[in-house]
Amino acid sequence: MAFSQFLESRRAACRALIRALDRHFAYVSILGTDVRANRIMVNKNTSSITEGGDCESGFVIKLHNGKAFLECSLDDITDDTDALVRHILSTVTVPSALAEQTISVPIPADEPLTQSFLRENDYDDYSDAQLLQFCRETKDEILARDSEHILNVVSAISTMRVNKLFLSKNRELDQSYGWANGFAVVVWRENDKMVSAREFLGYNDLKTILDEMPSKISPLIDKAHHLAYAKPITPGVYDVITDPSITGLIAHEAFGHGVEMDQFVKDRALAKQYVGQYVASPICNMHDGAAAVLSAASYFFDDDGVLAQDTQIIKDGILVNGLCDLTAAAELGATATGNGRRESYKRKAYSRMTNTFFEKGTDKLEDMIASIKHGYMLFETNNGMEDPKNWQIQCTAEHGIEIIDGKLTENYVSPVVMSGYVPDLLKSISMISDDFIVYGSGSCGKGYKEWVRVSDGGPALKVKVKLA
Amino acid sequence: MKLDLVQLLRENTGVTDFRIIEKQTESYEAFFVHRSLETVRTTDTTRTNVTVYVDHGEFKGDSSFLIYASTTEEEARQKIAQAVEKAKMIENQHYTLPENETLERTIASGFSELPLSVLAARVANAAFRADCYENGSINAMEVFLYKTRTHILNSRGIDKTETKYHAMIEAIPTWNTAEESVELYEQYVFAEPDEAEITAEIDRKMKEVAYRSAAKKPEVMPSCRVVLQSEELATIAWELADQLHYGSVYAHSNAFSKGDALQKEICGDVLNITLKSEQAGCCDGAVFDGDGVTLQDTEIIRDGKAIAYYGSNRFAQYLGEPITGDLPCLALDCGSLTDEALAEQPYFLVVSMSGLQLDIYSDYIGGEVRLAYYVENGTVTPMTGISISGKLSDALSSVRLSNRATARRSYYGPALAAFDGITVV
Repeated sequence: MAFSQFLESRRAACRALIRALDRHFAYVSILGTDVRANRIMVNKNTSSITEGGDCESGFVIKLHNGKAFLECSLDDITDDTDALVRHILSTVTVPSALAEQTISVPIPADEPLTQSFLRENDYDDYSDAQLLQFCRETKDEILARDSEHILNVVSAISTMRVNKLFLSKNRELDQSYGWANGFAVVVWRENDKMVSAREFLGYNDLKTILDEMPSKISPLIDKAHHLAYAKPITPGVYDVITDPSITGLIAHEAFGHGVEMDQFVKDRALAKQYVGQYVASPICNMHDGAAAVLSAASYFFDDDGVLAQDTQIIKDGILVNGLCDLTAAAELGATATGNGRRESYKRKAYSRMTNTFFEKGTDKLEDMIASIKHGYMLFETNNGMEDPKNWQIQCTAEHGIEIIDGKLTENYVSPVVMSGYVPDLLKSISMISDDFIVYGSGSCGKGYKEWVRVSDGGPALKVKVKLA
Repeated sequence: MKLDLVQLLRENTGVTDFRIIEKQTESYEAFFVHRSLETVRTTDTTRTNVTVYVDHGEFKGDSSFLIYASTTEEEARQKIAQAVEKAKMIENQHYTLPENETLERTIASGFSELPLSVLAARVANAAFRADCYENGSINAMEVFLYKTRTHILNSRGIDKTETKYHAMIEAIPTWNTAEESVELYEQYVFAEPDEAEITAEIDRKMKEVAYRSAAKKPEVMPSCRVVLQSEELATIAWELADQLHYGSVYAHSNAFSKGDALQKEICGDVLNITLKSEQAGCCDGAVFDGDGVTLQDTEIIRDGKAIAYYGSNRFAQYLGEPITGDLPCLALDCGSLTDEALAEQPYFLVVSMSGLQLDIYSDYIGGEVRLAYYVENGTVTPMTGISISGKLSDALSSVRLSNRATARRSYYGPALAAFDGITVV
C-alpha cells in the first residue's frame, strides 16, 4: 500500500502555489485529499458494488491575511500557479460591507516538520468477487436461520482508503491509512410487530471482519426475536447499566461536544468555566484522540497538519483538557490537540472529536447488575444530541433489558431515550466495569451538519438517569 | 482538459447503458464569532458520478464510480472497464432506464443578481439586525450561499440540467442573565435573499431564547394536549411517507402498506399527504430526480389511509407501479384547528427539541424538550428540562391540525398540530 499517486503528482505544484501565495498572505497551507471507498451490499433481492459516499479528491487552501482566515476549496491544483493565484486573490475576498467586522486572530504557529505516515491494511488481499460472495453467504446463512420471521436481510462490507497531503511553508506531511466496516441487518416480523435489528463491526483489517461476522448471526436473530416482544418503558428515573456503546454515547454527547474548544471561542460551552473543577464522579477518566486507540477516527495528523494525540479530558472526575483545532488554538492562545477535522476538502475545519471513551474501572459487570434492585441495562446507540451550552443531553438506545433483584430478565424495552443534565448524569456514575470496547462504526455531526467518522466506547457504567 | 465521458463510455462494448450525474457547486461562506467575521471560504467544485449498467443473461448489473477533475482519459477508461466487470457480478432483476427527455432550466432567484460575496454580507447583516436585545446576542453564525448546477444524462436520451440557488444560516441566539447564559440552535434554509424575512426569522429565535432563559423545570408535569410545530410535523409526515417509498416496499421494510389505515380510531383531523416536485416556499423542489425522471406529484395518504406508493424508476418497475420519481417535497393538508380553538384549553407547545424521536416499528414518539410553553388562559409559562413520550398511533388518531399553513425546506402544511396521548415527563 503506497501513498496516493495523484497527491504525489501534485506535490510540486502545491509547493509552488504556497511560495507564490506566501507573498500575499501571512500563513498559507494546503490540504490535499484522495479518499477511495468501496461498498458491497447484498439484500434478499438485490446487490450492488459502488464507490462509497466518502470518496473525494481535491484541495483546500487555508490563508491568513494578518487578521482573519480565508479558504478556497478546489478540485485540482495544476502547474499553472499564476492562474491559481489570480483565481484565489479575486474570489477569496472579504466584502466591503463586512470588512470592518473582521476579527483579529493571531497567525498560527507553523513549526517545522517533515514526515510520512503509513498504516498497512489487507484490502488488496480480497477481490470484489470474494467480498460479494461473503456478503451473499452471510445473507443466505441469516435467511436459513428463520424463514418464517425474516422479511429482509442486508449484509454489507465497506472499505475506505484515506490519503492526505499537508503542506505549509515549514511543514510537509503525508499519511495513508484505511478503515473497514461490516454490517448485517434483519427486518423481522413476529408477534404482529415489525422490527429491525443490526450488528456492526469496524476494524483496520478486513480479515477480522470476515472472521467475526459469522459469530454475529446468532445474536442478531436473538435480538430481533426479543425486540418483537419489547414494550415501551414506563418513563421515570432509574438505576441503569450502560453497555460500552451507550457509555461511548454518553462520553460523546454528554461531554465530548462540550469540550470542542471552537465552542469556547464562541462562548458556546459551559465547560470553559469548569476547567479544573469536578464535573463527574471521582472514579471517571475520559479521553479523546486519534492516537488514543486504533479505531475509525485514528489518523496520524489532522486536517490542520497537527499531529494526532491522546488527550485526557476528565481526570479523576476533574475537567482537565479540551479538544482544539488550529484556528481555535490561535484565538484562545491554546495548543492545538490534533482535533481539526473537515467533512471533506469542501468544508471548513472545526474542533471535532475522534475516538472518545471512558477508561475502564475495577468493577465486575455481574456485580454491577447485582447491585440494582430495579432498573435497566441499555444497549446499542441509536442517536444522540448535544447541548454544550446548557448541558442537557438526549441519548437514544436501541433497547434496554429490565433488571429485577440484581438479575437481567427477558423483559426488553425499546426504544429508550435517556435525557437529563450532564453533571447530574456524570456525577451519578457509581461503578465502572473492568472491560473495555470502542466501537468503530459511527459518524457525528456538529449541530446538524459537518459529518465525520468517529468512534466511542469504554466500559459499562452504573448511572442514575431519566428514561422515557 | 475536460473528459468526453460519453465517448469513453460508448467506446467500451461491455457497457449496455450508462448514467452520468454531474453536480457543480459554487459557494461563498462566512463564519462569525459573535458579530466578528472569523473565516471566509469559497468553493468551486464538481462531483461527477457515473453508473455503468450491464445486461447479462437474465440479469441487469450496475456499478457506480466517481470521476474527478484530475482524472485522466486513461484512468477513466480503466474505471469504466472495472465497473463493467463489477456490474457483471451483480444479478439484479431487469429494468429499463428513462428515455428521450431534455431540459435546461434555471430557477429564478434574487441570488443570481449580485456576486455571492456581496449577497452573503447582506444576508449576514440582515440576520444581525435581530441582534438588538440588551441581554441577547448571536454568539456564532455561519452563512452559506450556494449556486448548484445539476446535469443528468444517460445513454437513452435523457439530458437535463437544472441550475438553482439556496442559502443557509446557522445561528446560535443566546440570552445572558446574572445567573446563567442559555442558547438555542437555528438552521434556516431559504431560496431568496429577502432581508426582512431573514431578520424576522432570527428575531423570532431571539425571542424564543429569551423565553428559554426564563424557563424552569416544572415541579408538576403538565397534563394536557401537546402541540408540535412544523419542524416536528415535517419529521412525522416524512417518516410516514418513507414507509410508502418503493424502495421500502420492495425491501419489505415498510411498516404499513397501501390500503392500511394510519389513523385507527380518528378523533381529530384526517391526514392527507401529497408528495410534490415543487411547492411554494420549499427550496428542495425540483422537476426531475437522480435518474432524470420527470417528477409526478402523487397523493399517498388520503383520509388517514395509505393509498399509493412513490419512488424511483427502478423500484417502480420492480413493483409494477407508476414511475413517479423520487419526490422531494411534501404537502400535508391543513386541518380545522384555529388559534382561538387551541386556546380554549391549556396546552403544552413544544418550541425546541434536541430532535424528535420517532420509531414507527415500536409505535413511539418522544424526545427531550429544550423549550416549551405551557399556555393556559393566555398566560405563557416557559418550561425546560422535560421530555415527551407517547404512542405514535394514539397521537396520529387524535391529531388536530392547524388551519394555518407554513412552508419549510421540504414541507408545506399546518403550522402546528395538537395531540392527545403524548405525555410530558
